[in-house]
Amino acid sequence: MKKLLATLAVGLSASLALAGCSASTGTTPTSSGPVTLTFWHGYTEADGKVLDKIVEDFNKSQTGITINTTTKTWAVIGDTLLPALTAKQGPDIVAMPAENLPVYAAKGAFAKLDDFYASDATRSAALRPAAVEMEKVNGSYYGVPTGFVPLSVIYNKTLFEKAGVASFPTTWDEWVAASKKLTVDKNGDGTPEQYGLALPDHGTVGNGVWPSLFYGNGGGLVDGSTSVLNSAENVETLTYWANAVKNDKISPTGLDGVASDKLFSSGKAAMEVGGPWMASVATENKIDYGVAAIPAGPKGSAASAIGISAAVTSQADPAKQAAAKKFFDYFFTREVATEWSLGSGWPPLRTDIDASALSSNPLVATLTELVPDARPLLPGVANSTDVLAAMDEATQKALAGGVPADLLATASTQVQQALDN
Amino acid sequence: MTTLTRPGRGYRPPAPLGGRPRSGRQTSIAILFLLPALVILLAFVAWPMLSALRLSFTNSSGFGVEEWVGLDNYVRVFTDPRILSTLGTTAVYTVMFTPTAIVVALALALLLGHPRLLGRGFFRTALFLPFIVSLAVAAFAWTYLLDPQVGLLNYWLRGLGIQLGNVLQDPNLAMPTVVLVAIWKSFGFYMVIFIAGLQEIPGSLYEAAKVDGAGPVRRFFHITLPQLSNTLAFVVVFAMISALQAFDQIYVMTGGGPYRTTQTVVMEVYQEGFKKLNLGLATALSYVLLAATLVLSLIQFRFFGRREEDNS
Repeated sequence: MKKLLATLAVGLSASLALAGCSASTGTTPTSSGPVTLTFWHGYTEADGKVLDKIVEDFNKSQTGITINTTTKTWAVIGDTLLPALTAKQGPDIVAMPAENLPVYAAKGAFAKLDDFYASDATRSAALRPAAVEMEKVNGSYYGVPTGFVPLSVIYNKTLFEKAGVASFPTTWDEWVAASKKLTVDKNGDGTPEQYGLALPDHGTVGNGVWPSLFYGNGGGLVDGSTSVLNSAENVETLTYWANAVKNDKISPTGLDGVASDKLFSSGKAAMEVGGPWMASVATENKIDYGVAAIPAGPKGSAASAIGISAAVTSQADPAKQAAAKKFFDYFFTREVATEWSLGSGWPPLRTDIDASALSSNPLVATLTELVPDARPLLPGVANSTDVLAAMDEATQKALAGGVPADLLATASTQVQQALDN
Repeated sequence: MTTLTRPGRGYRPPAPLGGRPRSGRQTSIAILFLLPALVILLAFVAWPMLSALRLSFTNSSGFGVEEWVGLDNYVRVFTDPRILSTLGTTAVYTVMFTPTAIVVALALALLLGHPRLLGRGFFRTALFLPFIVSLAVAAFAWTYLLDPQVGLLNYWLRGLGIQLGNVLQDPNLAMPTVVLVAIWKSFGFYMVIFIAGLQEIPGSLYEAAKVDGAGPVRRFFHITLPQLSNTLAFVVVFAMISALQAFDQIYVMTGGGPYRTTQTVVMEVYQEGFKKLNLGLATALSYVLLAATLVLSLIQFRFFGRREEDNS
């Protein structure tokens, strides 16, 4: 009996992990009358307050629709969305990093929005085509863009001045040269106290730092359903930057996006590739900052975009879906789109908003100028998680001393397997 | 050769692992008392387990239509090199964690069990305290302590001329580091269990052994360890199960990296299930882990049960 109980105890303890994997089934009743929707988003800074105000204004403008927003971090949304939706306790609208949208859309978690894009209101909204491209999976639209901003470089003007770097670099060679000047190893122990650049080798901001560099040399990650990760251009790019980090020590290795932010905000790195929120982080840390485009690679200027998409979940019944589309119509009106852009610090999602309307926020004005170089990250790729994981492994190993060609070849095989699945 | 004296009258040896024989009536009463808890377990654990078992034979993502795929997910678990590598990583973690945590806990239990040790109440409390902290919280704290740029530990060690570097991103040091954090967090709990077990050992056994001329090492191996066998069996199995389920501090500190060197089975289950929405594969992998845990636990119970029989 004791043995039996012991075995049962072992079984039950191990089963706790299993319990989390089980899915429930059920149906959602169709709503009638007033509609109440829940909207999860991860805008946790000032942008969140602006979005909440926009939702509040929308609610006031409606008689039968109420949207309740819930703010969580993007990571928490990623961890809780699946169990919440399978338990029918999830949101009706959810915002998430755009590269994650195809993962959920391909599995049937989101409602199609083709009719929304076919409507007159949306067509006249002149939405940015590159941003809309993020929402397409297997020929259908599953979300709307709520953010589309190119990665850019934020730099510490004070450190630039101290190092005698008069202007921001515009090419890779100039970028590395400036980074070398800005790298300081006072005690000569081989570990700089200040780095020219914080270059993360995995888990980069918006997963976009390495794609940006690959694009700059004419490379990429995926072409349709084929991996191009091991292209000659990518090998050249990875070799170039691995040498700069290993030989010139312009950046520490082993950084992820968060560590990179920390290095910049603590004044230990003069430059970082980041998103618009870094401007407020720099201000909080009393850093006199500037924002500029990622310097052009041998084949031109390019930047991966940080994209945020909002989708209507399959949990929402037709009435809620219609209400959500009504909110999206409101969100993309010229007035609200401008308000959202200025308040969030992200470039406007409409192409027809005049530059003069953005002049009150110089950061938005600068980033808007950079938008034409921005490319969506892995649009429509359902296995984006695998692609990004393979890329991260290759870049991290390369900066730690591995052979870029071999690493990219291995990564490309993994990516192709994932795409074939 | 010295012969150890047999225990005196009135000594009752600890119950063997299989338990003392009980009457049918006692068993029925015991089951009656356990019934409410069993009903809850059946509803909230057994049923989800069975649902998960069904899922493991499907391609379920949690949404839309799911198809029956037979043993495909299990075949993939044993043929996909990336998934197989997580079984190896988990084995390495378990082998590093279990013996180390137990040896440290037992050593400290012996030390702090000494009645003449000054301030032993304080030390016991201090060493037990990490156990009451959530592992995720402890992991966050350790991540900051170990940060190569702004971490206190690196700062202090640099003062002594030691360069710790970025241990969490070092493929050779990441695994020992996450194991170390888990040991730091849990050894206090095992230590307390060992202290309780040590207090159950009659002092007369040690006195008799001393009279017979047995030294501390001999007393440890011939009295302490055999008398602790039930406690040891519990701690070993408990530690092994917690090692096989390693997740929290890895999720927080390394995310399975660098290069998947800390990617344990549960991390893989999490990523397959919650990041890639492959619930079928994730549950199949969970069941493989469950089977491995059961087999290893039964082997250990059998091993300790046999030792018990040999010692009695």
